[in-house]
Amino acid sequence: MIFWEIAKRNIRIHLLRSTLAMLGIVIGVVAISSMGILGNSMVLTVSDSLRTVGDSVIVTPHIGGNAHGGFGGGGGSTTLTISEQEFQQIKRVSAPNVAIPVLQTSDRMKLGVGSDDIVAAIYGLNPDDVPDFLKLQEGDYSRGNSGVLVGSTFAKDNNIKVGSRISIGTDGNKGTLRVTGIIEERGMAFDVSTDSAIVVTKDWFDDAYNRVDYDKVVVKVKDLDNIASVKTAIEKQMNRRDTTVDVMDTRKTMETLFQAFGQITTFVSAIGGISMLVAGVSILNIMMMSVTERIKEIGIMRSIGAQRKEVMSMFLYEALILGVVGSIIGGALSLMGGYLISSMMLQTTKYLFVPSSLVHIAYGMSFGIIICLICGIYPAWRAANLNPIDALRHE
Amino acid sequence: MNEQPVMVFHDVTKVYPLPAGDVTALDKVSFIVNRGEFISVMGPSGSGKSTLLNLMGCLDTATTGDIYISGSRTGDMSDKELTDLRRDRIGFIFQYFNLFPLLNILENVTFPMMLKSQKAVDPEKGRAMLHAVQLDDNLFTHTPMEVSGGQQQRVAIARALINDPDILLCDEPTGNLDSKTGAGIMELMSELNRKGTTIIMVTHDQNIASYSRRTIRIADGRIVE
Repeated sequence: MIFWEIAKRNIRIHLLRSTLAMLGIVIGVVAISSMGILGNSMVLTVSDSLRTVGDSVIVTPHIGGNAHGGFGGGGGSTTLTISEQEFQQIKRVSAPNVAIPVLQTSDRMKLGVGSDDIVAAIYGLNPDDVPDFLKLQEGDYSRGNSGVLVGSTFAKDNNIKVGSRISIGTDGNKGTLRVTGIIEERGMAFDVSTDSAIVVTKDWFDDAYNRVDYDKVVVKVKDLDNIASVKTAIEKQMNRRDTTVDVMDTRKTMETLFQAFGQITTFVSAIGGISMLVAGVSILNIMMMSVTERIKEIGIMRSIGAQRKEVMSMFLYEALILGVVGSIIGGALSLMGGYLISSMMLQTTKYLFVPSSLVHIAYGMSFGIIICLICGIYPAWRAANLNPIDALRHE
Repeated sequence: MNEQPVMVFHDVTKVYPLPAGDVTALDKVSFIVNRGEFISVMGPSGSGKSTLLNLMGCLDTATTGDIYISGSRTGDMSDKELTDLRRDRIGFIFQYFNLFPLLNILENVTFPMMLKSQKAVDPEKGRAMLHAVQLDDNLFTHTPMEVSGGQQQRVAIARALINDPDILLCDEPTGNLDSKTGAGIMELMSELNRKGTTIIMVTHDQNIASYSRRTIRIADGRIVE
């Protein structure tokens, strides 16, 4: 179509001006897309870190309530706990899902002769529950009370290997344990964060810290669709008179977390959108210039039989070309920018080439094209509605 | 030959409302243009020539009175209908040629064809039309700025004729050309008229008007001769 051809040629003849206007669109697309990609990559990073705990319901003593909790006693501090009787109730209503009681504290420990004491978290788990819960990257699960599992970060930071010995307590007064296995990295977790901790048997924990009650109970739900109903069943059973426990559905918590991340990403992308609006003003400006420069040409077209809509289409094509070319360049740069930012900030680019990240490039490009078209409408309308006689007289 | 007049003006008045008071540019103007005529419109500056040309070219509408182009009354037509009429029935030739600088010579000529057909057109008719106005093939791919004024006006004539209009409207067609080139253009227009093209030409140059076979003289918005 001739009007498409004229639009192309007009852009080509004013290449510098068109390029500068396009540059604004490029920057806008890059701003929106790269913010979106970065936000999504961060969500995916956190999501990966948390994915191992997305299938759990975590039951903890109710804080601030008049709960049954006993006064447990690691290190003499007063803490609320879940009794064995309460655990059995939780286990019963959660069946057939596995309910795992967890003990936890932190203590000093010495990792070798001459080394300084460090303080780390200690979890006490029933050895039968451990294989359901934790995967090992090296070694075996502890069978006896003298064995201990260590988290991967803990092992790496302290140069711990299978067979190493760890003395627990001040001057090792709680005893010395031998490392039987190193736990796979689990990342941040709502249930147990073992990466920088050690895991001992429940019996050893009971003996060492004189504990009988639990700090929390983790219910591993096999069918994720049942996670909400398991949570409700536990709450109904345990809190029927007073609120004695708090029950957290990790999946719901993660959803809330991701929703918040999504909102942050949207907000940051919206800030990028402001640069697109500025670019839109620049497009509006050059389109108005284009119309003003070509008033006489418009008058000639109208006088020899061009309809208003045809004149309008010519200017909209021009805006569309600027938008499409600017957006394609912006999209390509966003991909490169996203690659660089992901490499530098997240140390991985695996979250870049996934649909949920790439869709932000599509959003940015679509927004760029739409903004160009919107900003082209008024100049095009103005051109189409010029009086042909006045336009022909224009010098 | 179709005996229906190609253009009829009946008691046409054009009034421009201005803040300082209404200005009557044309006052009860009536005339008929028959097919095959070559008419020149002459008059001093401010006499109403341009207003008359705008009304004849369907670029403007009369305040009162009736205008018929090829039998169609223009007064009640929408903007789209008037535009279609300009495209299909009227060819325009301007003093300053008014070619499109972004299009080459051949594209300029075929532009009205594209407007009419709404699709790509066979350039052969454009070439034939350029040959008819005595332009060589080697100029066809040049832009208007790369050819002389006389050649540009020939391109403009070819463009005006490409959709086989009923009337060729010319506004000072030689006003921007030297006398020799202008004479060449007028010879070409006389030739076109001999072949049947109806031409109405606005001019203030008596020599140019002498090429026509009838002259309408206008003064103070009225036809005086």
